[in-house]
Amino acid sequence: MADWQQELEAVVGAQHVLTHPNLLRAYSQDGYTLESAMPRAVVLPGSTEETQSVVRILARHGVPVVARGAGTSLSGGAIASQDSVILHFSRLNRIHQIDWTNRVTEVGPGVINADVSRALQPGGYFYAPDPSSQQACTIGGNFAENSGGPHCLKYGVTVNHVLMADVVLPNGEVRRFGNLAGDPDGPDWLGLLVGSEGTLGIATRLWLRMTPSPRASRTIAALFDSVAEASHAVSAVIAAGVIPAALEMMDRLAIFAVEKGAYPVGYPPDTAAVLLMEIDGEPLGVEAEAQQVLSLLEGFHVRQVKTAQSLEERNLWWANRKTAFGAMGLISPRYYVQDGVIPRHTLPIALDAIDSISAHYDIRIANVFHAGDGNLHPLLLYDDRDPREVSRVKRAGSEILRYCVELGGSITGEHGIGLEKLDEMRVQFSPEALLAHDAIKRVFDPAALFNPGKLLPTPGRCIDYDGPP
Amino acid sequence: MDTSQCVHCGLCLSACPTYAVTGLEVESPRGRLVLLNEWRQPEALHDPATAQWLDDCLDCRACESVCPAHVPTGHLVEQWRAQDRPTIPRNLTLMRGLGFFVGSTSGLRWFQRLSRWSRRPWGTRVARSVLARLPRTVGDLSHGLPQLSLQLSRETIGSDAPKPHSTVMFFVGCVMDAIYSESNRRTAELLRLAGYAVVTPSEQRCCGALHLHSGESQPVRIWAQENIRRFEESGADKVVVNAAGCGTTLKEYAALFAGEPQWEERARRFEDSVVDVTVLLAESMLPRVSPTGRVVTVHDACHHAHAQKIFREPRQLLARAGYTIHEMANSTQCCGSAGVYNLTHPDMSEALVAEKLASIPDGVTNVAAANPGCLLQIQAAARRSRRNVDVQHPVDLVWQAYHDAGYLPKQEVGTRG
Repeated sequence: MADWQQELEAVVGAQHVLTHPNLLRAYSQDGYTLESAMPRAVVLPGSTEETQSVVRILARHGVPVVARGAGTSLSGGAIASQDSVILHFSRLNRIHQIDWTNRVTEVGPGVINADVSRALQPGGYFYAPDPSSQQACTIGGNFAENSGGPHCLKYGVTVNHVLMADVVLPNGEVRRFGNLAGDPDGPDWLGLLVGSEGTLGIATRLWLRMTPSPRASRTIAALFDSVAEASHAVSAVIAAGVIPAALEMMDRLAIFAVEKGAYPVGYPPDTAAVLLMEIDGEPLGVEAEAQQVLSLLEGFHVRQVKTAQSLEERNLWWANRKTAFGAMGLISPRYYVQDGVIPRHTLPIALDAIDSISAHYDIRIANVFHAGDGNLHPLLLYDDRDPREVSRVKRAGSEILRYCVELGGSITGEHGIGLEKLDEMRVQFSPEALLAHDAIKRVFDPAALFNPGKLLPTPGRCIDYDGPP
Repeated sequence: MDTSQCVHCGLCLSACPTYAVTGLEVESPRGRLVLLNEWRQPEALHDPATAQWLDDCLDCRACESVCPAHVPTGHLVEQWRAQDRPTIPRNLTLMRGLGFFVGSTSGLRWFQRLSRWSRRPWGTRVARSVLARLPRTVGDLSHGLPQLSLQLSRETIGSDAPKPHSTVMFFVGCVMDAIYSESNRRTAELLRLAGYAVVTPSEQRCCGALHLHSGESQPVRIWAQENIRRFEESGADKVVVNAAGCGTTLKEYAALFAGEPQWEERARRFEDSVVDVTVLLAESMLPRVSPTGRVVTVHDACHHAHAQKIFREPRQLLARAGYTIHEMANSTQCCGSAGVYNLTHPDMSEALVAEKLASIPDGVTNVAAANPGCLLQIQAAARRSRRNVDVQHPVDLVWQAYHDAGYLPKQEVGTRG
């Protein structure tokens, strides 16, 4: 048993330091299945202080650390790179306080995203960022990845909703960043930490903004016979000045999968695209905007337009959309989801390009995307038992990202860089910019112990991982 | 069925009660699939710790409800239990006792007798000496017992002359038959009030659920064949069941006979005829009682909500009988009963039932639960923690409402504490 292991046991208790090989195997992956790595150990800290001690002990022994919430990362953010120890925050899962007057709720990093909104709902509030994995993913992970979601088109992403956080830094210090007023005092360090993917610090307590629930909402589903036509409709809605709460699209293959999934809506199988639009706010405004959208849609070849008739129907449509990734398991052994962003008006040509990449590499691709903000999620379907297909799927994915950058977009909208998009960072950023990133990392973590080998491509450093399982 | 359909999205984690209690990936459905996969590797480590993580699965199927890729994790763990029985730590006395008690009508009578004695001062000694080698939770559970009848329900319900298109065979179950015989009698009365002719074959057998969940599939095929024969002879168009756990098993009989076309076909016809009593009564022409102001909260048995997707019907039925429903949080989360799980996994089970009690809204004393395991588990925990809560089968609550409203005749209640 390593020295550090005994020291850790003294801090968190032996039952919370785990090294059983089968258990480590279960922790060797997250939602990104193209890579895996066995952690050296899994530690479950029970408080900020315990986290601090654990980080100090491991730092003293030069053992790297990876924080994990629910392990739903789609870019390998929670994979134990470089022989690290996983800190699993499932025990810090309490909502500590709901301050209705100041509209702030104080939570542990292991609290499930959807549970925050569930707790706020009786008072007429919700927590706005709603990643599709919200029924399982945690606030700590959302902080690390600056997670978005369908409704972030209108409400903003995680960085706009975390007011303050206690963060354990790689040197073992605990610092409080941000303030409850929500306006940075001095440089916006909190803004830097949110989305740093656990490479600069680990949040152990978070204060979240409570957003008043809209008093009314309308959800509209428009079914199209052509993806291009649906894309033009998206542009028209945004150009008309309507800011829907959410504006989502799925293509034929994606529809096929979700209709076989846990929440079938009954979209006809030959539908080429479904556009899901939600408008929310004050009742009269919602009514007017919904009418505006409906009349805009009349200018396009729409097969069918439906408005959700009940909350149940609305929730079903969203559950159907939000389980799209998992539903890929019904039509393929594995999927690899891309997260490129493009300027909205280039949607039709980008989709054409994805089509030809699909044909060229002989990889089936389903498309699910946040059409409103141009965030694409092509789902590349593959079989992990076929090494040649795995290699083709990686190349196809990379080519899609490169094309997004070419169109003036970026390589990630919300899933993060993680292990997955390290190479593409060089496409997105100049060598000078990457050096600047590296300089920031060194200020926080000179020994490179926090989530090593993620987010920031480091030239000259070898990264050694197991292949796909 | 295999584990490869899992794409590792992790959406199941929050649905899994054992993950909520332990916070460990290996106690989540996704983690268990990794363990199952490891288990099959040629050089796998088949140690007690791994077996325990797998065997901790409640088989509540909450993960199957939320899995976008329909991975049948509960079934896969059940299969593993059946194949790897020797490696699972188990209480042999418990499994033998179970086989004896539910295996025959006379076993059931003994079960009823022992349960009745366990509630008397002198009987506690007798019961204890018999139960001494059983897990400690057996004693805890006896606090949850209702007033016990002297007869099995199947001996008192009787059979009506069949009516065309509205004859049902009443599947009386084991625990329902012996412990909740009163609920069974009321079930029959409500079915008759709703216009059905009720046939109750006395030779019907245990559905086999408890054995299947524990990986003991041996006797179940024989029981299933007998139940199928009884149904075919009964002249009924439907098999009505009021225990969520039994209903699920009865609806999965065909899988027991995979590869035997003749029996598979008969089992399929049987399966298709099985209907839960709350579903049948909710669709029936039972009269509407105006709201009485009585408040009830509903605990959804796993094998209602997750395995059979029954959620609305018990509520519709209670509302029609005049009840106001005050929902509890996480009503579909397992109470920790899970077949014989509360006997085999006392610690996990206690953690879960404590959560269940905490989620019963303040001031609500009526809890409806449509499964005998849940009834016993929640009632026992409530009595132990001195919480004033009355856990009843929805049928009992509905029967009471129709009785009070004068729709049902006064009944001689043959119970003895």
